[in-house]
Amino acid sequence: MKTVIAVEGVSKSYHLDHTKVRALQDLNMTIAEGEFTALAGPSGSGKTTLLNIIGCIDKPDSGRLVLDGVDVTERSLNSLAGMRRERLGYIFQSFNLIPILNAYENVEYPLLLTRMSGSERRRRVHDLLERVGLADKRRHKPGQLSGGERQRVAIARALVSGPSAVLADEPTANLDSVTSGEILDLMDELNRERGVVFLFSTHDPRIMAKARRVVRLLDGKISEDSGAQAAAQAELASFRQTGR
Amino acid sequence: MLKLSWIAFKNIFRNKRRTLITFSVIIFGSTALLVAGGFIRYMFDGLANMTIRGGLGHLQLVHQDQLHKEEEKPLQYGLEDAGKIAGIVSGMEGVLGTTARIDFMGLLSNGDKSVIFLGTGLEPEKERALGYENEVVSGSSLTSEGGRFQVMLATGLARSLKSNVGDTLTLMSTTSEGVLNAVDVYVVGIFSTGITEYDERALRVPLGIAKNLLATEKVSKLVVGLRQTSDTDRLHDLLAARLSSAGYPLEIRRWYEMATFYQGVVRMFGAIFRILGTIIFVLVVLSSSNTMLMAVLERVREIGTLMAFGTTRLKILAIFVIEGVFIGVLGGALGSAAGLLTIKLMNRAHLMMPTPPGNTRPFLIIIPVVPGIFVGVFLLMIATMIVAGFLPAMRASRLKIVDALNHI
Repeated sequence: MKTVIAVEGVSKSYHLDHTKVRALQDLNMTIAEGEFTALAGPSGSGKTTLLNIIGCIDKPDSGRLVLDGVDVTERSLNSLAGMRRERLGYIFQSFNLIPILNAYENVEYPLLLTRMSGSERRRRVHDLLERVGLADKRRHKPGQLSGGERQRVAIARALVSGPSAVLADEPTANLDSVTSGEILDLMDELNRERGVVFLFSTHDPRIMAKARRVVRLLDGKISEDSGAQAAAQAELASFRQTGR
Repeated sequence: MLKLSWIAFKNIFRNKRRTLITFSVIIFGSTALLVAGGFIRYMFDGLANMTIRGGLGHLQLVHQDQLHKEEEKPLQYGLEDAGKIAGIVSGMEGVLGTTARIDFMGLLSNGDKSVIFLGTGLEPEKERALGYENEVVSGSSLTSEGGRFQVMLATGLARSLKSNVGDTLTLMSTTSEGVLNAVDVYVVGIFSTGITEYDERALRVPLGIAKNLLATEKVSKLVVGLRQTSDTDRLHDLLAARLSSAGYPLEIRRWYEMATFYQGVVRMFGAIFRILGTIIFVLVVLSSSNTMLMAVLERVREIGTLMAFGTTRLKILAIFVIEGVFIGVLGGALGSAAGLLTIKLMNRAHLMMPTPPGNTRPFLIIIPVVPGIFVGVFLLMIATMIVAGFLPAMRASRLKIVDALNHI
């Protein structure tokens, strides 16, 4: 499987008043094409920092980040705008929709930054709004939508440019449990349909249960990786079968 | 970019109260500038008109030595062929007419008292045709006809000699040969120029009387009236060429070159208007940049989101600057409408200005609608909003994405 995200020896520290906080410590992780992965861990474990670095909206102090085979570590954040525009999508805890734009316009926004034709733009936005079940509410502004509907718009917006990976920081934290389940199911379906990586942070065990891989962070390090365990088990099984 | 402009346009209506405040500031600033600019233009035009019709004319033709050499005798450098020159000038397109004048001075006596006067010999009918006639306070205007020698006295001069219409006075002056001469004149009317100091000394007589008194056929100048004041420069050049080729190398002076008072007023009020414009510009920039900054601060997380989706810093900057341009355009348009309405209302109210220093009458305020000033103020308001929006826009474009997304 093609590696979409490769994090190699990444460290990141913050200064909180006079205290140095080590958010990430020599962290290594790879995400392959089509993964549906949860980043789990308590508050301050480094989930958001890791998502920000992978999302090219923050820079590591050391280490490398490779996206779709492109080493983006040394690039400035401004020069990474193109990478964010074309290869990444974001879903935020508070939805972060533009209040003056309606659902259609919010989904359309990332495409306005590209050279895509108007007809193709309309087709994509229409298809995605249809897919997330909001075609009939495309003229509604965020204030006229429920929390779940807003997050559906945000999901459509994250996918509209056809990214390699969608990064979601606590996407269900502001939603009730039923809606959270629905949103996770939608993300899961879209991941299977489109093969897009979904990497999301959460500390809700019910949400984690739906992820196909869970990476647990603690104090800026990976404390547990179900994907690594599965890979080790697969390797062990392969070894037993082949005797090598 | 068109779609981003549309987003910028929509942002204007996001916080209606704040937008209303910004619009109010722009409307107030625009109205103040339009009214002040219109009023100043009215004063300039009024003063120009008063200057021209007060006798200066649009152009004056004098002997080429008159301005550069001192005359040893009256009219030494006068015009000899005034009639022929007037014929050439009057035939030109755009010329309303010409009138010859003799400027002279001397003593005016009622038998008991003599006072110095500044006299003008003129062609009454031609002056009237050109509209160069001062207000007749009592009596009637001069005419070229009539057996008795006529004179019109300015109010101050008449008061000084206790003269009224119908009185006979004696004019004394030096002829062009340097000999003292005198004529008896009959007061046909009292006039006012509106300028107190001038009214103390001025008198007017028909050109023939002045020629008789000065014993000359020369005139001091030929005054040219034009159909359009805006034609002054064009006809000046045309006339210079035409007269030169006809063998009359005369000195031709434009009205504004002679009107030193007018020039002083234009300079002073021009400076006042520029200061007023600067003050309003600064006020609008300060108050608007404050509201624009608030617009940035309340949209920090949104800016972070836009940047996360790949919006470059330049485009973030552009969105806010374009927003400023839209506010400037809309505010400027509303300001123009408000300015127009205010001007119409003020004109309808028939407001009077107090009597200006040196003048004898108050005057009615009429504020013209000058398209050039409207365009200038409109563009100034757009420029103001670009300046007001630029610093907040710079701040928005320099936000760190992570900090912006975490902004509460």
